[in-house]
Amino acid sequence: MLLTVRNLVMAYDGRTVLDGVNFDLEEGELKIVMGPSGCGKSTLLRCLNRLATPTGGQILFQGEDILRPDTDVRALRQRIGFVFQNFALYRHLTALENVTLALRRLRRLPVAEANARARHELSRMDMLAHQDKYPAQLSGGQKQRVAIARALAMDPAVLYFDEPTSALDPLMAREVVNMLHQLRRDKVSILCVTHDLYLARAAGARVLFLDQGKILAEDEPERLFDSHADPRIRAFFRQELEQQRPEPLPI
Amino acid sequence: MNGLQIFLSQALEYWPQIVAGLGNTLLLAAVATVSGLLGGIGVFYLTLSSNRLCRRLTEAYISFFIGTPLIVLLFLMYYGLPQWGVQMSPLTVSVIGFTLNVSAYNARYLMTAYRSLDPDELQAARAQGFSDWQVFRLVTLPQVLRLSIPALSNQAILNVKDSSVAFLIQYTEFFAQMQDLAVRSFRFFEAYLVAGLVYVLLVSVVVLAARWLERHYVLPGARRKY
Amino acid sequence: MDFPQIIELLGKGVGYTIGVTVACSVTGMVIGVAIAMLHRLDWKPLNRVLGAFVYVFRALPVLVLLFIVFFGLPNLGLRVPPVVSMMLSLGVIAGAYLSEVFRGALDSIDPNEIMAAEAMGLSRLQILLFIEMPQMLRFSVPGMVNEFTTVLKYSPFAYTVGIPDVMKEAMALSAATLRGVEIYLAVGLIYFAIYKLLVTFIWALEKRYRVPGLTEH
Repeated sequence: MLLTVRNLVMAYDGRTVLDGVNFDLEEGELKIVMGPSGCGKSTLLRCLNRLATPTGGQILFQGEDILRPDTDVRALRQRIGFVFQNFALYRHLTALENVTLALRRLRRLPVAEANARARHELSRMDMLAHQDKYPAQLSGGQKQRVAIARALAMDPAVLYFDEPTSALDPLMAREVVNMLHQLRRDKVSILCVTHDLYLARAAGARVLFLDQGKILAEDEPERLFDSHADPRIRAFFRQELEQQRPEPLPI
Repeated sequence: MNGLQIFLSQALEYWPQIVAGLGNTLLLAAVATVSGLLGGIGVFYLTLSSNRLCRRLTEAYISFFIGTPLIVLLFLMYYGLPQWGVQMSPLTVSVIGFTLNVSAYNARYLMTAYRSLDPDELQAARAQGFSDWQVFRLVTLPQVLRLSIPALSNQAILNVKDSSVAFLIQYTEFFAQMQDLAVRSFRFFEAYLVAGLVYVLLVSVVVLAARWLERHYVLPGARRKY
Repeated sequence: MDFPQIIELLGKGVGYTIGVTVACSVTGMVIGVAIAMLHRLDWKPLNRVLGAFVYVFRALPVLVLLFIVFFGLPNLGLRVPPVVSMMLSLGVIAGAYLSEVFRGALDSIDPNEIMAAEAMGLSRLQILLFIEMPQMLRFSVPGMVNEFTTVLKYSPFAYTVGIPDVMKEAMALSAATLRGVEIYLAVGLIYFAIYKLLVTFIWALEKRYRVPGLTEH
C-alpha cells in the first residue's frame, strides 16, 4: 500500500476542517477526491506533503509515518509530485529551466543530464517545442503540462493534483482526462482533488466523497453520482450536475 | 573676458586634482551602490525571517535609516566619534554611512517587489523539497531583483549625486576639488556650473546603463504594480 | 548637560528646519503643478523644453545647485538670500521630481470624465481646477509623501548658507561641548521625529479628503 491515511484531523482557528479522514491509495492506482467547496480537499492534499501540519491522525507513505517530528520533510517532498491549481510555474525561468531546477539543485545532476531528463519529460507531455518559452508565453493547458513534467522529472512515487481543471477552459479540461489516462498507463500513482463532475466520471477511477471533514463514501462514479443510498450525497451531485452542465463541443 | 580666462587657466593647472576627485566620486558611488545592494539583500532576507523579534528589529532599522538624513549619520561618525577616540578616514565614514543608509532603501524596494510575487510559486518550491534558503536564492531573489531594477538603478543615480555630500566631511571627491578651483580662481559660478554639468553627464551614463539592464532583464510577463 | 538639555538646545533650530522644509516643499508643489499643467497643453516644443528641464534638475545634486545659486550667482551680480537660495535649489529639484509624479497621476485620470465635463460645457480652466487637480492630488499622495520627506532630509544643507537650523546648532554645540556623538544622535532622533510627524500629518490630510473607491487602499 503506497499511502494510508488514518483518522486525519486538521483543526485551526477554531474550525475543524478534517475530522477523521480515512482512505488508502495503492501503487499505480488513481483516486479522485470530490466534495463541496470548503470541505477540506486542498487542505488534505497539503497535509500529505506536510505543506500543512495536521493536528491528529496518521499518514503512512511508502510504509513510513510522515507525521513524526523527526521526518525529513524535504526528502519526503522530493518523492512527491505536486501539481498546483494555477500551476505555479517559476515565471523567471523557461519551461526547460522550470523542469531542470530541482534536478540540478536537489538531485545535483550535471547540466547535460538534467537537460536530457527534462527534455524527455517535456516531450512526454508534448511540450518539447516550447522548452525555451517563459510561463507568461504559454497557455493554461501548456502551463499545466509543464507543471506535470516538472513534477514527473523527479521520478516521484505519487502525483497529487489540486483542482487540475479549475484554471482551464472547458475544452482544455477535457484534455486533462486524456492526460490522466496516459499517466495511468505509465503506472503513475495519482490522487486527484477536484469538483469537476465530468473529470470524476470520465477518469474511470474510484471517487471519494469528502464532506464535513470525513470521507462519507467511496465508490465507482456511476453508483456514487446517480444512486447512492445517502440522500445528502445524492443531493450534492444533483446540484453539481445542474451547475456544471457540460458545454457543447465546437463543431 | 578676463574672469573666464583666469578660470580656464586655473582649471587647466588644477586638472589632475579634478580628475583624481572625479575618480574618488566614482569610487564612492560604486562602492556605495554595491555594498548598499548586498546590504539591502541581506536586510530584505531578515524581513522574511520567521522570528518575530528579528522582523521587528529589521523593520525598525529600515524605518530609522529611511527617516534620518544621511548627512547626520556622516557627521556623527566623522565629527562625533573622534571625541570618543575613534578616528576614521572620510572614505571609511562615507562607505559605512552610505551602506547603512542605502541598504535600508534597497531593502524597502525589495520588500515592495516581494508583495507582487505569486505565493504559489514559493509554495511550489517548498513542495518540490527546496529548503527555505534555496527558495529564497532560486525563486524569491531572482524575481524581486528583476522587478526592482527601476528602483535599484534610481538608487544608483542617487548614490552618484549624494557622493557630493561627502565633501562636507572632507572627502576629496570631485565637488570638493571644484570648490577648491572656485576659491582659487574666484570664479564660483563657472566652477559650480561646470561641476553641475559633469554630474548631469555622470547621471546620464547611469541612466543609459539602467535602461539597458531593464531591457535585458525584465521579468517575462511581470506585473509591475508600482 | 544631559540628553534632554541637548534636545532643548537643538530645538532652537527646529523652527528653521521646518521653515526651510515647508518653503522648499511649497516651491516644489508650485513648480511641479505648473510643469504638469503645461504638459497637459500637449504642445510638442514646450514639452521638449520641459522634459529637458526636468531631466537636468533631476540629475543635479542639491548641494551643487545650492552652491551655484548662493555662491555662484553673486559673480553675475545677483545676491540671493539664504532661504531663497534653498528654495531655488532644493525647491526646484523637488518640483522636477513632483512634476513626474503629477504627470503620472494626471495620466491615471479617466479621459471619459474629462470628455463628459467638456460635454457639459465647462471651460478648460474649470475642468483643470474642478476635475483634474482634485484627482491628480489624491493619486499623487504617495509620491508627495516621498518627495516632502526627501526635502526634509536634504534641509540640513541649509547650514552651509548660514541658516541656523538644527544642523547648525548641532555643529556649534558639538564644537563647544565635545559631545558630538550624543549630539548627532539627538539630531537624528529629532529629524526622525519630524519625519514621522510629517508623514502622519499628510496621511491624516489624505484621509480627510479621501474619496471611497478612487484611490485603492
